[in-house]
Amino acid sequence: MSNLKDEAEREAEMDMTPMIDCVFLLMIFFVLVIDLSQRDLEDLILPVAKYAVPDENPPDVRPIVNIAQDGRMVYKQNTWYDPARDGDNTEGIRRLLIEWKGTVVKDKDVENLGGRQVTVVNDPVLIRADKWTEWHYVGVFMTACSQPEAAFWKLELALSEDDKERKLYPN
Amino acid sequence: MAKFRKEGEKEAKADMTPMIDCVFLLIIFFLCIDFKTLEAKLPAYLPKDRGSQTTEAEPIEQLSVKIVCEEFGQEVARRASIGPLRSRNNVKMVGHRVYWLVGPKKVEEMTELMDALKEIAEDPRRRVPDKDTGGTKVMPVVIEPYPQTTYGDVAGTVDAVRAAGFQEINFGGGMGTQQRSVGR
Repeated sequence: MSNLKDEAEREAEMDMTPMIDCVFLLMIFFVLVIDLSQRDLEDLILPVAKYAVPDENPPDVRPIVNIAQDGRMVYKQNTWYDPARDGDNTEGIRRLLIEWKGTVVKDKDVENLGGRQVTVVNDPVLIRADKWTEWHYVGVFMTACSQPEAAFWKLELALSEDDKERKLYPN
Repeated sequence: MAKFRKEGEKEAKADMTPMIDCVFLLIIFFLCIDFKTLEAKLPAYLPKDRGSQTTEAEPIEQLSVKIVCEEFGQEVARRASIGPLRSRNNVKMVGHRVYWLVGPKKVEEMTELMDALKEIAEDPRRRVPDKDTGGTKVMPVVIEPYPQTTYGDVAGTVDAVRAAGFQEINFGGGMGTQQRSVGR
């Protein structure tokens, strides 16, 4: 009788090991993959590309600016320029470009431009802006890029292969 | 003896149910998650020597493509529950229209723009000298966005210009840095 009770108890026990394994794997996955890869990319709806080159094997660290519909310029979840707060003062963008120049970009050359020695950056800056962001704000960023102190002259405009706006917000 | 063996066999059996549950959860997660991966990019260039040029610049023959906003359109909310707020990237434009000036020629549709650009890119008389090779190349294009144009208008134009066969795409100051006053 007691033997039967023992067996019944043993059968009722559930082996939690595989579930704990899976939960840990899920946690590792969330922490390492999702967070690190998405920190640079804000949730924006990019315009649709018909002929653009796919962005394959992007470098781990590269200059990326996200420009929201209201003109906020975000890099790694920090707002470097907010038109409502900063107005015409683009000091935040200048600081961002100088930081990139010092720590993020690898390919730089000193060139003589108009009789002045300028450190020109040959790595491209990826501009991600919402489809309906006014070009004015992208222009503000480009103006800052073209200043001799920053001297970023290569750009990349980010696009999407499918029409996310139509897919997510059809009405 | 036989009883011990039976018990040993029972212990070796692993309960797969929780693992299967987790695997299904993983599959659902992968199906549902919206990966924010970047899908495509377009290269473009800024003038290297802006603001520091003291010497006389050589004139460069280039094709000007102006993007002019004909109708800014009406702002509506993407997600109806929040309202049309630009600070939340929740604005979608309805009735937004632009036209292009390819040199002096006005075009109103993207397909027309593609045709006009292809015609110029394929015209051997419109090629310019290439300093690097000593031969000729397709002329550079300068894109000039006018006020009230959006990133979507400009990126779409750059996309078309590249598809037509132009390699060198620059941005001109144009009038795109004039801001339209919009509510946040």
